[in-house]
Amino acid sequence: MKSAVAIGGASALAACLDRSPGAIPTGADDLSALPERQHAWNDALAVDDAGNALNARHHLLLLLDYTGDGTPSQSDRETVESALRSLERAYERSNEGLLFTLGYSRAYFDRFDAAPAGVDLPRPEALAPFEDPDADTPDAVLHLASDRGDALLGAEEALRGNKSEANDVETTSWDGVFSVADRRTGFVGDGLPAEHDDVSGVPEGAVDEDSPLYMGFKSGFRGAQATEDRVTIESGPFAGGATQHASYIELNLDQWYEQDSRYQRVAKMFCPAHAENDRVEGVGENLGASSAVGACDDPEKAAREQGVVGHSQKMEGVREDGSPLILRRDFDSTDGGRAGLHFVSLQREIGEFVETREAMNGTDAAENSAVGQRNNNGILQYMNVVSRGNYLLPPRSRRALPEAEP
Amino acid sequence: MNRRRFLAAAGAASTAGLAGCLDALGFGRQSSAYAPPLIEDRPNAVYYPTHVEGMKSFGMATDGPYTCALTYSYPHRFWLVTGTRTNKVTIRSEDSIHVMPVVWHEETGIVPPAANPSVEFALPDGEESVPSVSPWPMISQPMGVHFGDNVAIPRNGDYTATVTVAFGSSKRTGALADAPDSAAFEFEFTYLAERVDTIPYRTLDNAGEHGAVEPHDMAVPTNQLAPEPDLPGTLLASGTSGDAAVPVVAVDDAARFGSRESDSYLAASPRTPYNRFPLPMASVSARATAGGDVVHDGALTATLDPDLGYHYGAPVSETPDSVTISFDAPPQVARHEGYETAFLDMPPVRTN
Repeated sequence: MKSAVAIGGASALAACLDRSPGAIPTGADDLSALPERQHAWNDALAVDDAGNALNARHHLLLLLDYTGDGTPSQSDRETVESALRSLERAYERSNEGLLFTLGYSRAYFDRFDAAPAGVDLPRPEALAPFEDPDADTPDAVLHLASDRGDALLGAEEALRGNKSEANDVETTSWDGVFSVADRRTGFVGDGLPAEHDDVSGVPEGAVDEDSPLYMGFKSGFRGAQATEDRVTIESGPFAGGATQHASYIELNLDQWYEQDSRYQRVAKMFCPAHAENDRVEGVGENLGASSAVGACDDPEKAAREQGVVGHSQKMEGVREDGSPLILRRDFDSTDGGRAGLHFVSLQREIGEFVETREAMNGTDAAENSAVGQRNNNGILQYMNVVSRGNYLLPPRSRRALPEAEP
Repeated sequence: MNRRRFLAAAGAASTAGLAGCLDALGFGRQSSAYAPPLIEDRPNAVYYPTHVEGMKSFGMATDGPYTCALTYSYPHRFWLVTGTRTNKVTIRSEDSIHVMPVVWHEETGIVPPAANPSVEFALPDGEESVPSVSPWPMISQPMGVHFGDNVAIPRNGDYTATVTVAFGSSKRTGALADAPDSAAFEFEFTYLAERVDTIPYRTLDNAGEHGAVEPHDMAVPTNQLAPEPDLPGTLLASGTSGDAAVPVVAVDDAARFGSRESDSYLAASPRTPYNRFPLPMASVSARATAGGDVVHDGALTATLDPDLGYHYGAPVSETPDSVTISFDAPPQVARHEGYETAFLDMPPVRTN
């Protein structure tokens, strides 16, 4: 079933409100206590029994074009800030209310003929020889997240100016300043992928009803995520911000579910040793707070001797002082009537995302072993990267149409 | 009676176009299997499959130095390989064809085996969803190395298909080294389900016996390797492993393999028996000595060379007089019937 968030608009919101389980908590009138880091969501999210932060269940990415020519005006800046503040008053800043970040692309900073000061923000490009993604070049991207689909739709209607209140609180719009170039939607969390399996790219009835993601396994283990501190820009005018990568990936899971065995799925997602020793139960709840890939061989050895290398196994080596480099906030999607993944990640520098993604390519394993470019090479066989975008999430105090060198 | 039982009853009927007559008899394509039961007690070696099918093509296209033929046949059962385990993939009721993009380098006729292509089908209205597939690298007795997967084409009609492929993970030499890393091919064709049923199909009397059917006489290269006596260089070893033939040669002048002209080059060329198809995507290593000195001890690199074809090699400072070739992981290429029990348990091959 297509979700109300995927459909969007006033009628979807109305339908959603009819079915809604109860009141959404409103925000505080005094916004001064809100964190300077837009991306500081972990303290505002629920956690599971193992202490892993649970990403909000519904997501909306609005790709935005600034309607003005050249550099933004002060009045447009005030319009944007005022609209965002009204949302912060309308919804509690949590998974039960509304979480959001607003980021800006290199294309936006071109308006100032400059790159953002002190930030590694290259233009998006292909990151594997077998991909040919479109480069997303909106000026900005707004990422909205909530366990409540009606909160996302209410916020969107308010920003677009279709409504002047959200969650019974008065709001202001940024209509006339931003136009929506693209609207992307999705979900993550136990049961949601199985509920949305009537799209191409995933066989109906194949996804475990407990799985938070289409591929049938948990991810986002605490031990495999960077901390928010680790992804935060430390100095310069954008200190307190972070960079964001957002790609859209089509999933082809017919082979995954109809041709691969459970052994192969566990070997390719985690590592062959996990498959050999039945270490993963169901969707992987038994793994606790990490994917336990410490118990896997190193990826080159597995590739040479077992002819297959797991996705988590490849990612394990991408660490600095023991910490992963990126913080994943990804979610699945039915956009375009097919199973997909919006891979949203946060990192201090885009280069750290690129380094992580290069490890996922498993190029060394492919060149030096039985593992192919995609064959038995983690989960590369099942994904097609359609688009990539890179953004700067400024600190909250500079989130409204910032200058490149403020 | 379904197609499978009909075929079993038909036994040795070697009839081209048999499948076409099945439709006339009312055997709906959607409800029947395309393959007779597997032979019991299959040998752990290359064997004649239960049946052989012909193939058809949706057309050919070129991109730079590469050509692609988008071929198809009946849906197939095949086996995926992970480590030394095989996993049989059965035909789904909705599968309509086995699609096989065959991509080769025109100048050398070489089929790069280690890339995984994508095939996107589309109907002109763009409304109906048509599956895109990422066919697996696989080997079959009639076709050798190709890419293939079963796919459900939703209905008869005019289609476009885009095949994209990247050749990243094998080292390439000579004219192949200068060729681009990726290619894309566009096809337009009319799909008619009834045309699939006119593809020749015959069952084999000698199914299960050691041996292999002849390669198709095709308009596309089958990538057969040179017979052992015709391999360049000095033959160092000639053994078998897991029913694969494994000639090992040393050739003079390792320059085109990224080393010095004064070095020689050690190459292992594992291939299927009978048809001499390369066995890609294995982890192969070698220990080689010359006059008692170790000249190589470690992995061999999967390489595409215009003269040697697909092989595993390494430059060595001196031509070895003794060599041991080990298979750390067997070829991870998917297998069609007749190849799925071979090339899995692969002991070392040594100089005689």
